[in-house]
Amino acid sequence: MNDAELDALLAQPLPDMDAADFSVALMERIAQHEARPARILSWISAGLMVVLIFAACVFGASSFGRVDLGAQNVAIPTTLSFLTFLLCYVVTRSARE
Amino acid sequence: MDDSALVERAVGTRDVAAFSQLARLHQSRVRGLLLRLTRGNHAAADDLAQETFLEAWRGIANFRGESSFSTWLYRIAYSRFLMQARKRKPDEPLDDWHESAPSGESATQARIDLERAFARLSPPESAALTLCFALGLSNSEAAAAMDVPLGTLKSHVLRGREKIRSILGDPS
Repeated sequence: MNDAELDALLAQPLPDMDAADFSVALMERIAQHEARPARILSWISAGLMVVLIFAACVFGASSFGRVDLGAQNVAIPTTLSFLTFLLCYVVTRSARE
Repeated sequence: MDDSALVERAVGTRDVAAFSQLARLHQSRVRGLLLRLTRGNHAAADDLAQETFLEAWRGIANFRGESSFSTWLYRIAYSRFLMQARKRKPDEPLDDWHESAPSGESATQARIDLERAFARLSPPESAALTLCFALGLSNSEAAAAMDVPLGTLKSHVLRGREKIRSILGDPS
């Protein structure tokens, strides 16, 4: 094989690749990347909301503590916080979809 | 609309549509380069190509136009490939050419032989030959894309060329 033949062989263009599926997958990845700060922020907000609600419930229960609530002192705030967390999770998920 | 106008839009207003158009224009050549480097592994090449374009999107504000947009993309693609290759365990051999890889029924025997020969080159030799010949970059552009001095690029090209010639002359 002489130099010219070898150069011609090496200079053959690379096979053409279909852009459709690749572009769709790429745009999805870019969209996910772009949504990342908002997603992180929404989880921080959700965490803060849970802490706030738990604290409010504990404060309320302790103010109400003249009446003995027993185990409910913790059970009620925990349940409410869990429900808040669940609600945040559902909202975040549906926002993503 | 040419590359520079699309890049301007993508940088200026973070216009995803403009970047999407750039990706569509360049995806075939970037994937082709990575397909050679991964020795015909379509899945690995496409994963690396996705990471290349994602990194380009993240860093497009840093693109200063000192090289062409395609050279900048090839540079990201090649460095991504090297990063992935470094993660490979030292005793893990590189794959042989993937039999399924030649582009469908239209692949000629000469093309298959050429791709098999490329699979026996080192990654820098394969990248240098692909950039200079198949992708038509000048030596200095290819050196910039591979982030190596011009002399090193030229020696990769010479060595790669001689290896291809000897492999195709004696395929065993």
